[in-house]
Amino acid sequence: MVMALRKRVLRIIKENKGRYIGIVILILLGSFYFIAATGVANNLEKMVVGFAEEYRQEDLTFSTDKPIKDISALESETGTLIEAYRQYDVKLSNGELRLLSPSSKINIPAVLSGRGLENPGDILLDPYFSQTQGLDIGGQIELNGKTFNIVGTMAVPNYVYILKNLYDVLPTSGFGIGIVSGADIEAFPELSSEAVTVYGARFHARENINAQTTKLHGLLIEKGYSLSEWLDAKNNKRINMPYGNISSMKSMSFPVAAAFFLLSCLIVGVMIMRTVKSDGVVIGTLYAQGYRRRELTRHYMAVPVLLSAAGGLAGTLLALPCVRPVVDSMLVHYVLPDKGITFSPLNLTLAVLMPVAFIGLSSFLMMRRILKKTAVELMKGDEQKAKVNFIERALRLDRFKFNTKFRIREQVRSIPRLLFLVLGVSAASMILLFGFTFNYSMNVVMDKGALERYVYPLEYNFKEVRNLQDGGIPKGAEPYNTLRCYPEGRESVEFYLVGMESDSVGFKVNDIRGNALSRDQVNISSPLASRLRIKEGDTILSLVSKLDGKSYSLKIDGIVKAYGEQFVYMPLDEFNHLTGQPLGSYRTVLSSHEIDFDENLLAGVMDARDPEAYENVSMPTTLIVASVSALAVLIAVIIIFLVTSLMIDESRNTISLLKILGYRGKELAKLILNSSAPAVFIGFWLGLPFMLAFGNSLYGYVAEIINMLIPMMVNPLYVLISFVLIFAVYEVTKRLCGRKLAKISMSDALKAGAE
Amino acid sequence: MFLSVSNLTKSYCTGTITHVLKGVDLKMERGQIGVILGPSGSGKSTLMNIIGGVDRADGGTVEVGGERITDLNDNQLVEYRRESVGFVFQFYSLVSNLTVAENIEVVSNISKNPLKTDEVLSAVGLSDKKNRFPRELSGGEQQHVSIARAIVKNPKLLLCDEPTGALDFQTSRSILKLLQEVNKKYGTTILMITHNSAIAGMAHAVFRLRSGEVAESAHNSEIIPAERIEW
Repeated sequence: MVMALRKRVLRIIKENKGRYIGIVILILLGSFYFIAATGVANNLEKMVVGFAEEYRQEDLTFSTDKPIKDISALESETGTLIEAYRQYDVKLSNGELRLLSPSSKINIPAVLSGRGLENPGDILLDPYFSQTQGLDIGGQIELNGKTFNIVGTMAVPNYVYILKNLYDVLPTSGFGIGIVSGADIEAFPELSSEAVTVYGARFHARENINAQTTKLHGLLIEKGYSLSEWLDAKNNKRINMPYGNISSMKSMSFPVAAAFFLLSCLIVGVMIMRTVKSDGVVIGTLYAQGYRRRELTRHYMAVPVLLSAAGGLAGTLLALPCVRPVVDSMLVHYVLPDKGITFSPLNLTLAVLMPVAFIGLSSFLMMRRILKKTAVELMKGDEQKAKVNFIERALRLDRFKFNTKFRIREQVRSIPRLLFLVLGVSAASMILLFGFTFNYSMNVVMDKGALERYVYPLEYNFKEVRNLQDGGIPKGAEPYNTLRCYPEGRESVEFYLVGMESDSVGFKVNDIRGNALSRDQVNISSPLASRLRIKEGDTILSLVSKLDGKSYSLKIDGIVKAYGEQFVYMPLDEFNHLTGQPLGSYRTVLSSHEIDFDENLLAGVMDARDPEAYENVSMPTTLIVASVSALAVLIAVIIIFLVTSLMIDESRNTISLLKILGYRGKELAKLILNSSAPAVFIGFWLGLPFMLAFGNSLYGYVAEIINMLIPMMVNPLYVLISFVLIFAVYEVTKRLCGRKLAKISMSDALKAGAE
Repeated sequence: MFLSVSNLTKSYCTGTITHVLKGVDLKMERGQIGVILGPSGSGKSTLMNIIGGVDRADGGTVEVGGERITDLNDNQLVEYRRESVGFVFQFYSLVSNLTVAENIEVVSNISKNPLKTDEVLSAVGLSDKKNRFPRELSGGEQQHVSIARAIVKNPKLLLCDEPTGALDFQTSRSILKLLQEVNKKYGTTILMITHNSAIAGMAHAVFRLRSGEVAESAHNSEIIPAERIEW
């Protein structure tokens, strides 16, 4: 580019510093979000999925009534790796440590610090346990009279989230795991009565896990084994907890960043087109002087390319140090090897080049139309003269007051500018509303979800199916039985089929209107009914049992009002009959009070007496909402500021003329700055359906991936707060732009000549 | 005396100091048409801007209808512009995205006692084009709109800066005729800047400006109708 023209690029930017800074921030946010979200998602995936793959996480865990005889034959028959490990719980004065024997085929332990097991008496501990117990590598721990040397910390793939029992929801305070050699476990004298053997299985073929699971189950039953604690990884909280974070981060990363880039493209494109248009006579003159089109294209492209490269680069650099703390906070409850934070070179390149390509292209397309004109055409200055578009022409505004007419015309004067404002405010409102709705939905799930359903707050899950004929249930308690099912062909829609007694009172079972439903019929939870598109009187055909692959059909009698829960309730006797279990079979006891069951018989206890304890395991929603709201407000400020300042610049001569004609500052501000109010209003309300569509598709995606249903609960109060917030931003921005308006001098119109 | 300018001075500093007005004096009676003639750079526009309350003088006084506008503060000048003065510019200065009627309403919207838009449109002969946009009109028609916009507030003083400067002879004559009609119909005092000395024939008072000074001022006893002006 010719030197003199090159100097002009920086001058163009300097002339409208505020506007260009706004654009750079918008691009920066896009790149920042893209790198941060993909960085978090990829690093979480690398740590969680990478650990699962590298250290061969089990697909299935189970126990048997007797040791499996020929494991290798079973392995080759089912295409599976099966490994037995010993498990022995040692009580301590201030906690409990579960000793596991090291496995070598699946669930292989990863040493996090220190060294692996080498000598008899060596022990590896989970890092949280060593931390809470104040134990250090090199120290010792005494377990049932035997002293072990702590040689390191470790993570195992089937205890990523350390829950004592398989069906526990919350970690048990003071509970941890440790790995000692098989010989050391066997050396405990009381072992024969208290240690258990647990099996883990991992299929060679990584597809159709459900079918392979059912096949293995059938084969083991066929061979005469009685199975207990049969649980696949997808439903095993020790394994599946961190997967939700990965899915939601992955699903959010690209669309949000792309939305930022597209918004930036629109505004930069519009602005570049206007700059080129207003320079029409200069361009014509330069053509006449012998400049080539490509030289001028390069000149005008320099602005968008510089802005997008600066924004992209700054966003990328700012995002890099933010990924580690986010990943750490998301994995704070999980034990995983730290693989270090890495970034995909492709994503880094995309974060910088994507805005350059998007914005460069849109600017190029916008300016090409003008640069194609001949020198004579351009020098006539037609490009600078404002044209009346078809909407302006079609509008008949006679019945309105002048101020209303003026504001309407001011808005429809530039359709891309109006579009940018409406879409930008919609995007900001959508983000803001989504933050609030997400927060409210999660609160509703916590307040009115599963925990609220429990009238009897204690739930005892047994390792094996029991029978009422072998002994009664204490007063104030009731039995129920469960089976994990899915509709044929939709394996992602897993839910519990629950058998409960017809006089059960342990659960609230109310219909949509809040009336109690009969327990003597088949009732489906409302979220599951809507997911399966089922209504009262419909029949669910081909319901497949996850345990043995058997298929059932059920006629639905009632719909239970629920938030996020997926279940079908039916009478216990019918349940047992349907699933081929003996009459009186049950797996769980729901109780109003604590019952002293033998701990060895239990697979888990759920205690709903203190719902607040569950808030710790839910996602840190307050932080998410606060950051999302701040982001939305920032976007709204930038967009409204950009459009208003663009509007002021484009109406410079009109404003100047109105000043000459005797308009006061306040009247001008009302006329010009208030003209965007309807667009902001429409943009906000468009944000609501956009948010619902976005939220539903995101929640639908999450439901398909991790089978977690989050209800879309829009709270009118939060909508009102968002509305007030967006308009507060608009008011603040108007004040910022008011100064710009005041600076416009009357001499502009006097010098400008023709409008 | 309706308009009285006494010893008016104004200078600009653009690296060096330029004295644009060097003690200008002029006087006009209510209801007269005045013409200021002079070459480029003689200070015509600066003088008109100060009389119109758009610019401020360094020294001297300007009185319009008994009000000394050189003593007014910014807010009072706004009031003066919105109630007492109408402007007609060489290049019309219409708001391009407002229709003809709406361009007139720009002014009637803020005036205390405006004339009716339709009446003014009819007076300038544009009733049938009230819903057109400026670009859809000829230069002459646009200047008609500009005049309509200026008179809708029924101003005491109408200031016209080269109102025919961008128009051909016939159109120019029609504009001058219109201004003369306005002057007669509404009794509006009109002060016009022009290069064209032929226009002086239709004015009651003529001021020749040269290098920031009134070189000559004359009063016509015989006013020529605009349609008879030739150049």
